[in-house]
Order: sequence, then C-alpha cells, then structure tokens
Amino acid sequence: MTLDDTKTHIVNSIERAAENVGSVWPLHSFVTANPLSGFEDRPFHEAVAEAEQLFGGRGYPHPSVFRRAWGNGQIDPEVLTAELDANGIHEAPATLLDEMETTESVSASGTDSSTEEVDRVLSKWLTAFLDQGNAEWPMPDREEGFYAAWREVAPYDGEIPGCASPSDLPETPIAALEAMLSDYPQGAWEAIFERQLAALPGWTGFIKQRASDDADPWQSAHPISLTEYLAVRLLLAGFLDAPVRPDEPAIESVENDEIPLPEVWLTAWEKSHRDRLLAAVSQPDSEMATADETARPAAQLVFCIDTRSEIIRRHIEAVGPYETHGYAGFFGVPMRYQAYGSDVAVDACPPILDAQHRITDRPAEGMDSRQAQYDRWQGVLGAGKKVLASLKSNAATAFSFVENVGAGYGAALAARTLLPARVYDALHDTDHAPADHEFCEPSVDYNPDSVHALREGLSLDEKVEYARTAFELMGWEEFARLVVFTGHASQTTNNPFDSSLDCGACAGNPGGPNARVLATLCNDADVKTELRERGFDIPADTVFLAAEHNTTTDEVTLFDGEAPEGHEEDIDRLRDALVQAQARATTERTESMAAESPDSVRETQRRAADWAETRPEWGLAGNASFVIGPRELTEEAQLDGRTFLHSYDWRTDPVGDALEAIMTGPLVVTQWINSQYYFATVDNAVYGSGSKVTQNPVGNVGVFQGNGGDLMTGLPLQSLYADTDQPHHQPLRLTALIHAPVEQVTEVLRRHEQLVQLLDNGWIQLTVLDPEQDNVPFHYQGRLEWEPVRSEQSAVDPVQTVSGEAAD
Amino acid sequence: MTGQPHANDSVQLPETTLSPSVLSRATTAGVWALFVLSSVAIAVSVWGGYEWHLSGYVVVDGLTTVVWVVVTFFSGIVHSYARRYMAGDARVDQFFGRTFGFTLLVMAVAAADHVALFAAAWLGMGLAMASLIGHARGWDQARAAGSLARRYFVADSGLLGGTLALLAWTTGTSSISSIVARSGSLPSDLVWLAIGGLFLAAMIRSALFPFHGWLLSSMTAPTPASALMHAGFVNAGGILLARFAPIFVDLSTAMALLVVVGASSALLGQALLLVRSDVKRKLGASTVAQMGFMILQCGLGFFAAAITHLVLHGFYKAYLFLFSGAAVEQTAPAEPARADVGLSGVVVSLGAAVGGGALFVAITGKGAKLDSGAFLTLVVVLTTLHATRDVLKQSRLPSRFKLVGLPLIVVVPIAVYGFLFNAVSALLADVPMTNAPTELTAVHLAVGALFVVSYLAAEFGWHRSSRRLYVALLNLSQPAPETAVTTTEDYNDA
Repeated sequence: MTLDDTKTHIVNSIERAAENVGSVWPLHSFVTANPLSGFEDRPFHEAVAEAEQLFGGRGYPHPSVFRRAWGNGQIDPEVLTAELDANGIHEAPATLLDEMETTESVSASGTDSSTEEVDRVLSKWLTAFLDQGNAEWPMPDREEGFYAAWREVAPYDGEIPGCASPSDLPETPIAALEAMLSDYPQGAWEAIFERQLAALPGWTGFIKQRASDDADPWQSAHPISLTEYLAVRLLLAGFLDAPVRPDEPAIESVENDEIPLPEVWLTAWEKSHRDRLLAAVSQPDSEMATADETARPAAQLVFCIDTRSEIIRRHIEAVGPYETHGYAGFFGVPMRYQAYGSDVAVDACPPILDAQHRITDRPAEGMDSRQAQYDRWQGVLGAGKKVLASLKSNAATAFSFVENVGAGYGAALAARTLLPARVYDALHDTDHAPADHEFCEPSVDYNPDSVHALREGLSLDEKVEYARTAFELMGWEEFARLVVFTGHASQTTNNPFDSSLDCGACAGNPGGPNARVLATLCNDADVKTELRERGFDIPADTVFLAAEHNTTTDEVTLFDGEAPEGHEEDIDRLRDALVQAQARATTERTESMAAESPDSVRETQRRAADWAETRPEWGLAGNASFVIGPRELTEEAQLDGRTFLHSYDWRTDPVGDALEAIMTGPLVVTQWINSQYYFATVDNAVYGSGSKVTQNPVGNVGVFQGNGGDLMTGLPLQSLYADTDQPHHQPLRLTALIHAPVEQVTEVLRRHEQLVQLLDNGWIQLTVLDPEQDNVPFHYQGRLEWEPVRSEQSAVDPVQTVSGEAAD
Repeated sequence: MTGQPHANDSVQLPETTLSPSVLSRATTAGVWALFVLSSVAIAVSVWGGYEWHLSGYVVVDGLTTVVWVVVTFFSGIVHSYARRYMAGDARVDQFFGRTFGFTLLVMAVAAADHVALFAAAWLGMGLAMASLIGHARGWDQARAAGSLARRYFVADSGLLGGTLALLAWTTGTSSISSIVARSGSLPSDLVWLAIGGLFLAAMIRSALFPFHGWLLSSMTAPTPASALMHAGFVNAGGILLARFAPIFVDLSTAMALLVVVGASSALLGQALLLVRSDVKRKLGASTVAQMGFMILQCGLGFFAAAITHLVLHGFYKAYLFLFSGAAVEQTAPAEPARADVGLSGVVVSLGAAVGGGALFVAITGKGAKLDSGAFLTLVVVLTTLHATRDVLKQSRLPSRFKLVGLPLIVVVPIAVYGFLFNAVSALLADVPMTNAPTELTAVHLAVGALFVVSYLAAEFGWHRSSRRLYVALLNLSQPAPETAVTTTEDYNDA
C-alpha cells in the first residue's frame, strides 16, 4: 500500500467517523440544529441509543416529565392505552411510570484520568486557537493552521512531557496520524477516530462546521480541520500515556425492533397533541369562500413560519380587516447581508442553503443629514469602546483607568439593576441616534462592478423569480393596498444566546433586511409587470412594505420610509392596529411569565432591557407542530405559539411544485429546530448548554460551563425550563399537518428519499388533511402508507390502509 | 409546582409557574435596610463626629462605615439582580442565605475589635464564599472548585488566627486597637512573624500571585456570586492591611515587600489577561492585577487610596461580571491597527498627560512631595498619555469631538477620582495611618521603571515575539485540573 493510499484511507475514515458529530455554529449566529443529525438514517430509538453510547446523553424525557404530562392531562389516557396495547404492554400507566423511574440508571462518565488530561490540554489549545477576537494576545502562528501552530508552541508546554522541540513532532497532521496509528490495523481506524472525535463533541462539532464553511473569514485566516484535531489529539495521547484505542467497545449499531417504553409514552403524548391539534383546526369548508366573495383586506401581512408569529398574527387579525400569511422568514432570498457600518457579513438564509447574493445596506439618496448624524454617533461610540479596551489591557494604564471610570460603572450598576424598565426607555431615546433603517436601502440591483466572491445584487430574472416563488408558495391570489413582509428579531440584553431568539430561517439573524429586499423587489415596476404577465393580478394601488416584528416586545416596526404618497392613511391605521395587537399579544404571552408589571407591554420592554433577565422571552419553546395550509384552517384556533404556520393553497398548486418546495425546505428546517429543542430539553448538559447562571462565554464562539474545557452546545436551561426540574418546553417530536391531497404528498415523498427517511425513522410525524376526500385526516404509517381517520372513530381504529403504491 | 390540569381539548402549554422565594425577598429587603443604616452611620459620624465602641469587641470607625456602605451596596445590587437572574434555580434559597450571611460576616470583619471575633468572621466569610463557588451541588467540578477555595481560606484563616493569637498573647490584650497601639513595644522577631502571617493572609484572600489559583478556578460560582467575590470578597486583604497598618508601616523593608508583592501581581495579572479568551477568567486575571495594585498602594503608604481603589474597582468589576453575557459579538479577523498620531499628536498627548498628572497632584496631594506618591502620579500620567493618544488615533471620530473630548477625558475622570479619594480620606481620618507616604527608594524606582517598560511593551507589542512567554502565561491562567469541565456530561445542574 502506498503512502497516498494510506492518506486516502485516513481522510475517508475521518469523514465517515465525523458523520456522527453534530455541527456546532458559532454563538453569534446560533443555528437551532439537530445535535443527532448524523443519526437520522436510523430509527429514532436506535439513534438515541447509539448517541448515548457515544456522548452519554439521554434520548427520552425524564420519567418525571412524563409523570407531570400524565398528571395534567397532556397525555390522553385512551391514546396511551392504545399505544401500550399496540406494543404488547399491559401494565397500568402508574405502574409503568414507577418502573421507568426505578430503571433510571445513574450514568457515570468513566473517562480514565490520562484521557481526561488529554481532553484538558487539548481544550486549552483549541480554546486558544479558535478564539475570535477576545484575547488581546492570540495564539502565535495561527495563520499556519492549527497543527503547525500547535507544533511550534507544544515544546514550551510543560503539560506535554517529553516534547522538547518541534522536530520531535511529525511535520504534517497526516504523518502524525500515520505514526500514531501504525500499531493498529487500518480496519480499526474509523472506530478510533469516532471515539476520539466524540471525546470533545463541542469543539469537534464547531471545527466540523467551521471547516465546511468556505465563506468563514476566521477559517480562511486560521484554518483548522478535524484531521489536525485528531493528529494533535493522538500525539497528546502518546505523550500523556492515554489509550489511542479506547478500551470501551466500538459503538455497536443497535438494531432492535423493540420500541423502548419511554418512546411508547412519547408517541402517546405526541398523538395526544396531534389529536388536539386536529380538533382545534377548523374543518375548512370544502368549497372555501373564493377570494372574490370576501372584502378586500386593508392590508396583508406576511410573517415568518416561526411559532411566535402565530400569536401576533391572531391578534392582528382580531383588531382589524387584516389578513396574515406565513412564509419562511428569509423571504426566499438566500443572501449574504452586510449592515451599514458593519465589518462583517452574515448569511441570512437557512443553513441548508448557500447564500447566492450579496446585499449591502447603503445610505439612500437625500438622507445625508441622517447618515451624518448616525455616523457621528457611531463614531463616538466606536472610538469610546476602542479607547476603553486599550486602556484596560495595557499593564500600566489599567489601574488608574479603573479608578477614573469606577464611579461611572457604579452609577450604571445601580441603574441597570434597580431601574431596568428605565434602561429600556433610555436605549429607545433615538433622538440623536437614528436607526440605520431610516436612511439606508439594500443594494438589490445587480452590480457588475463589485468584485467579490459573491456577486452583489440580483438580476431582473432573479427578482421576478423570488417574488413569484413567494406568492406561489403561499397560494396568493388577491393583493391588498398594503402588503407587508414582516421579518422578525428579538431584543434582549446580556444574553449570549440572543441569536437563538432571532430568525431561524435567517440562520440566527434578524429577518428585517430580508423583508426589505423582497419588498423592494416587489415594488420594482419591471418586476410587477413580469408578475402580471405570469398571472398575478397586482392592482396599481398595491404597495409593498417591509417591517420587523420584535418577538420580545411584540412591537412591529414598519419600514415605511419609501412608501409613496396616497397610502399615509392606510399606514397610520395599520400602525394603530399593530399597537393594539401588541398589547393583546403581550397580555397573552406574559401569562406564562412571572410578570412583575401589570402592564404587559411594559413588562416585555423591561425584559428586553433588563440585564438580570435570563428568560427575556420563551423563544420557540413549546413548538410541537407545523401546519402547511391556508390560514382558514387555523384562524379559529388558539395554538399558544406552539405551531409553525406556512401558508399554502393546494388549489393553486396543481402539480405540487409549491408543496415540494415547502416540504423540502421549511419542513426540514422546522424539524431541525424541533429536534434541538427536544434534545436540549431531555439532556441539557449533553445537548444543551446548561444554566446561564454559571456560563462563561468564550472566544465569541460559544460558552463554557464554569472554568471550561469543552464547548457547551445547544440551548441553555433557561430557554427551556421554568425552573430546574420543570420544563416549559414540552419535548415532543414534530407533528406536521399538511392540507393537500394525499396523493400529492405521496408524490413529493417518492421524489425525496431524505424526507421518507425522516418520517419512517420517526423524526417527524405526518398527518395530511385531504381536501379531495372531505378533509379526512390521513396519518402517515411509514413506507409511503397512510391510515385514514373517519370521523367518530378513534385514531387507533383503522378502517383501511391506503397504500401509497396503490394511489398511483 | 404545576398549574391546574388543562382541558383535554387544548393544544396549550400547561402553565409553569415559579414558586416565589420568600427568603430572597426578605434578604433583599434586609440588605438594603442595612445599606440605609450604614449610610446613616456614615452621615452621623461625619456630622456628629463620634465613634461608636463596644470596648474591646466592636469598633465602628471610618473604615468600618465605609466598608459597611460599600459591602451592603454591592450585596444589595447582587441581591436585587439575583432575584431575577437566579429565578428557577434549584438552590435559590441557599444562594440568598449564603449571600446574606456573607454580607453580615464582612460587616463583622469590618467592625470587629476582638481578635477572636475578627478571626471567626474572617473564616466565616471564606466558608460562605467557598460554598457559593460550589453552589451547583450536582456538578463535580463546581464542588472541586469550592473545596479548592475552602482549602485556601481555611489556610489563610489559620495563618491569621495564629498571628492574632500570637499578638494577643504577647501584648496581653485581645482588642485589635490595643494590639495595634502597643505594637511599637513588641520584639522585632515577633513583629516580623506577625507581618509574615498578616501579609500571607492578605495575599491569599486577595488572590495575589502565587495564590491566584482559587480565584482563576472559581468560575463555577453563579455570576452574581462572582460579582460579589470580585467586588467584595477579595477586598478583605486590603482591609486587613489597613487595620493592622501601624504594625508595619514604619518598617521600610515590610513596605517595600508589599510594593514588590503588589507590583508583581499587578503586572502578571495584566499579562495573564492578555491571553485569556473566556470572559470570566479574563475578568479574574484582571482582578489579580487590580488587587496587586491595591496592595502596591498599601505598600506605598496610601491606605486611603487602596480603600478607594477597592470601592471603584468593585463598581467596575461587578458591572463587568453582571454584564458578562453581553460579551458575544461577531468579529472579523484583524491585525491590531497602529495608526500614527504624528508629531503634533505626540506633543498634544504629552501635554495632556502632564496636565492630567498635575491635576491629580493638585486635587489629591499625592506626589506633591518627592515621596512614594510620585509613583501614583506616574501611573496617572501614563494612563492619560495613553488615553489621549488613543483618542487622537480614532479616525472615525470627528475632530470636533477630539477637541471637546480630550479635555473631558483628562479632567473629568481625574477630578471625580480626586474628590472620591478625598472623601474616603476624610472618612478614614480617624483610622491610624491612612496616608503615610514613604520615602522613594531603589525599589520604587525599579518598580516604576518596570511599569514604564510594561507600558511600552504593550504599546509596541514586544511580548508578541515570544512563544515561550505566551505558553507560560496561558498555562498560568488555567484553572485547577479537577475543576475543568472536559466532559459536558459531568455538568449536571438540572
């Protein structure tokens, strides 16, 4: 075997071994992903069992969570009994709960001390190398790559005994791996890599993500790969006498048809939720009122599919003749966005897509004075920050500096702690600091002169395409005088996880910029003409606006700077309605919070600005289902912000293209989000990042618990739990409900193996309401088969099974 | 506590409600009441001009009331903050109980005149803080960090207890004020033994090098507990030295020792800070440095300045801890930019620096004579120099701001500090030896030169060429091995 062959074998083995490591995104762009995404090709119970062997994390909620859900009626007794029967279990639920509690094993992490030493020394160097601008004096030689940089410093590290000079270490990571693995048969390498990668899953997940992102400026400046990680790790194991091949047996693939008891309970809980959801959604009239018969709404607002939109949409509809729609919050435009005055560009699109366009916010014409005002203010702030940072870090100036600014910090300390709501007012005093959206506009036009990795702007065809896709996916037929694309963003302070509360469809970024781009496209006269040619009847008086929904305070800010004359009254009325809706929505939301103020809007404002608030908003906690269908289906229902809503009208989608786009895009993204919330709730130490109270942010990329070591991943305890043992989020796997002909859905599934895999392995539960068959619910049974539910009959009493094959 | 069972036909989440912590409410009210009382005590002593004694047991003098006001303020902030921040924590009552108890113990340390009361309160506050470091009981590393800290605090309490017993035995009194008054008559061997005990106890508690290990491993503490630790707890070393100052203030070797010990921690702590990328340990390294500077001020004979430093540093560090969650931002890789300010810039900043130094001398009187106060003036001059140069370098800053901003940067902070320093000095007037500048010696000149070199090194990045130094600093700033969380599975607070 030649050297090249060995190298290829190593690279391939690492690639396969890394499949089980869940990607971890930097904290400033939190992506709510499934930590077990590498296991989705296995049935759920096998996946969680294997992940438990590898990472030590739980796979199912703690029995006390089931006990509580059982106790307060969340799990329907009939559904549970049927589910238990189907699995051949006949004991009483109470007995089973006791049984689950007694069989709870206390898992001890049996890491031997030399391996712990390797973990610790390696974490130290990873922390140093992967820092993104926090340390004043970063690790030397980072531009050479992780392995080369480490090779230079390792000889000086007293914690690595026996390494005296870089020449003691192989020159390349591959050479290092070859040397360390020479005693082991090639067949064992993949298992070795798998174990060694799983030793620090936080850091390896982060490296995996970063190494796969070509656009990451830190990765281009300071490259690192899993190969380099493994090379350093195995060398350290050699120096510290830690086992290269861990004693533990290789991960056994758990092939087992028997469903574990907790999964039976979980399924029963999910089905109970599903049945309630089905009961809550209106049975849409089979001859739904056609658009012509209803009055033209005063405005149409498009919100993100995010579960939080459900609440504000309901209240906006209630306060006036407004219509709302649900669409992916990046508004279909996969863009890399750079805000005005920002050094960094962010990919504002779901992580399953690559950004296609570069959009930069530039000052609009005639806005010079506003811009100058903004620049001045930002200049002062930025300069102040820089001066402070440099005074703090200089050994001779830090002391006098502290004495000179101490009094100011004392005043701020008291104000922020004792008068948090006033801090909100102070931050909102925008007199001398205009917001950048007031004078900037996105660069949507294709700019051939701008030379970058990604071209700037969009061509006319692309503009038309994005606008058309939006209206087609939502099944849009009639346009109001105002059409408002409403992105969303959170507003919190002192919150390392703020981006986890921003728009998930924009990869943890605010959705306002995307909304502005789509609104700008739709207002383009050429785009309108093209759209009309394609059958979208856009009246001359229709104006497209962008807005941003603040999910923390439920304030909706209209970006109406460019609104043409003649619409002022409409906009004013809408603005008033939005204020009313805010009051109603916050009243509903603050019910589930330990509110301090009787004024709900004020309470949410306090939470937005209060530095001591660890639960500024509940985010997507509670998410359990995804409804794809017309708003008529859900508008009568109070879904408590637990449901993602995507507008879809099967009648405008005869071929099923729109459905296919929704099922392969938003459905997959909601499953990511749902799985992240699920696993972070069932094991907050392994799949979440623990309590905020003891977190220690590190390197602008993540958080440590306490003194650090491995990077924590996933959502913090306070995003999911009301207190340490009372989850606010109910850990349920996603239930999808699609309003479309069953055959249409089956067709889409047939074309997408990956979707079938998610469904058949139990990561998503799917029910279809077939409008062509009296809106009868069909529950997906696996292998493209469906089970219809006739009214009056319980869900577990199938009348017949419709086979997907037969439906052809 | 769960709400009422919901109707079965609803998709709503069941209500999750927090049981309000009665203890948190009571202790928060209590600590703010103590703050008010302490403020009244200070006002009474300023206007009424009298000191309150329980002879031989308790003395309420200027130092006592200043410490009382400061510690109850920090504790009040921490209580109020934690009422929201710690909501839902499994051991929230224990947190408030210990924090409140800690506050009372610090107040006792500040007021104790009996050696036994002093030593007991000193030990008690250490145990309370160690328990807060190990707050999360289900988490091995937190417990390890707590017991590491406990070992340090038991050790410094042992040293202090032994020293106090020795002093009490040889002077024949158990009252600290009497011991201090009679210290002049003690045999010199004994004095040196006592000084050794006091200095070591102060160094351990203020986390000075080489006893910084417990502080850099203490990030398992809940954030508000860390705020209180860095704003309140580590100050105890300074308070101890201020209380016992008359024993060693006339011994120039002892004072020089404090200068050296303080300066090494000050410079080393700042160097450790440079390589840290995790927010809380970076703050911890900064505390090591700031406490070093505080001890340095003691060594220069400026005990009132040291106490002022403790207060102002407390504001600063408590704020940064409580705001540590805001430290995550997206950045782009960049080399540190070095803009040239030009000759005029150098002249302007040098002028401003000298002006700032002069203002400092004028307001505080430190450095007016050529004594150890000159060192403090040097530090102010360096800081002003740096600040003005930095402001001038900012290209995004309109020149109008530079014109207005420069004088503000020079004058306002120095004036604010000067007045605070004068106020603290006045309050401490009845405490012996609050301002006892020493003569300038070779030690002072050497330490001064070291500060100038460090300033220049930071400015020109001299240190960056040494990988060896980088690794040494990185390793020195690591937590104790048993307190590192290398397997996140071990973290189990839920």
